Amino acid sequence: MKTVLVVDDSLAMARLLEKIINDSGEFTCVGIARDGAEAIKMNHSEKPDIICMDMNMPGMDGLTALRSLVLLDKKVKVVMVTSLGGVGDKFKEALKLGARNVISKPFEADGVLRILREL
Amino acid sequence: MAVKFFGQFLVEKGMVSREDLLAALDLQEQKNLKFGEMAMKMGYVTLADIQHAHRSQFSQDMKLGDLLLAAGLLSADQLQEIITRQKETHLYIGEALVQVGSLTGEQLQRHLIEFNLDQAPYVSERVELPAGIANGKTWEMTVDLTYKMITRVLGLPFRTEKCRIVGTIGTNFMMAALDLSGDVEARYILSVSAGVQKMVARAILREESVEHESAEILEDTVMEFINVVCGNVAAKASQTGEVIDINPPVTIRPEVEGLPVPAGHTALCFPIHVGEGEKMELLLLIRG
Repeated sequence: MKTVLVVDDSLAMARLLEKIINDSGEFTCVGIARDGAEAIKMNHSEKPDIICMDMNMPGMDGLTALRSLVLLDKKVKVVMVTSLGGVGDKFKEALKLGARNVISKPFEADGVLRILREL
Repeated sequence: MAVKFFGQFLVEKGMVSREDLLAALDLQEQKNLKFGEMAMKMGYVTLADIQHAHRSQFSQDMKLGDLLLAAGLLSADQLQEIITRQKETHLYIGEALVQVGSLTGEQLQRHLIEFNLDQAPYVSERVELPAGIANGKTWEMTVDLTYKMITRVLGLPFRTEKCRIVGTIGTNFMMAALDLSGDVEARYILSVSAGVQKMVARAILREESVEHESAEILEDTVMEFINVVCGNVAAKASQTGEVIDINPPVTIRPEVEGLPVPAGHTALCFPIHVGEGEKMELLLLIRG
């Protein structure tokens, strides 16, 4: 089963994503990081197959963390989960920095899982 | 389920690859001239004019066209001509995807229909604001999108009340606030009673009961809701070229007497009725 690390400063959103991932029977959530810096540490310790990361977080934000994660490992599979997905410039920046896709909030479980399956 | 731009919709649905979209976006960057580039191409200004306009007006937050107009380097007619030419020659992302070979013309037309259907719930409706509010269209869209998200994300039936300008922000059980910056400067606040907070939490967590949840989680759900609303406001604004940045949301626990409106700000209050004995208000604290 593929493993997923969830990165979100919102506990509520992290819990919802964790539930969608674990209920799928196809993926398992191996941890929740609350900001970008923690995500980098947990990516090293947990070695997840996929990282689902929020963009707008206090401390180290999602795009800064994405840049570092890709720099450390070009093959890292990061999907940004954000309410800013519809802002063309932000979407483009995320893809250019190496994100594999962007999930817009609000999202449905089906949409999240379809994107995870494609990775 | 969110406000999207066409390219994002196509990648999310797996209709075009990430790589093809990036190629199309690069093509757009090459073909779509910025205002200054178009003005120079049309022979109305020189690079030196643009640099001069920036230098002479450095303390003002104005668009380049307005800077050139204010500096007397461009006439109003020329300004309009440049904007019209930009619009006429604009390469849209769908056409760019056809040009890079990712879609056929027929596929593009079909996906555009699907996209318009997906985005139909977010077509703006009129919200009445008091006269004389700066950036009125943006705030109308913000309030309208909030109402739409209360329906679509929270699933709550509600009734709105006419907007009023307030001198004090009335107290409530909790408020979630998020600062908007960029082309506008304002604080977006959602004020909720304890009952409404639980309604929001049930919807965000997708749980039947939230009685066992901690205060932190309950507050967090209201913050996440306004984060989603404001992100979608930024997306909608970007469709008309307006730049709105959002900051992480915060919680405010107001005193009994409420919060004073800071000097230099206008506070707009939009009461939202969701049930007997419950209180929900959207407040926009607009600078200027």
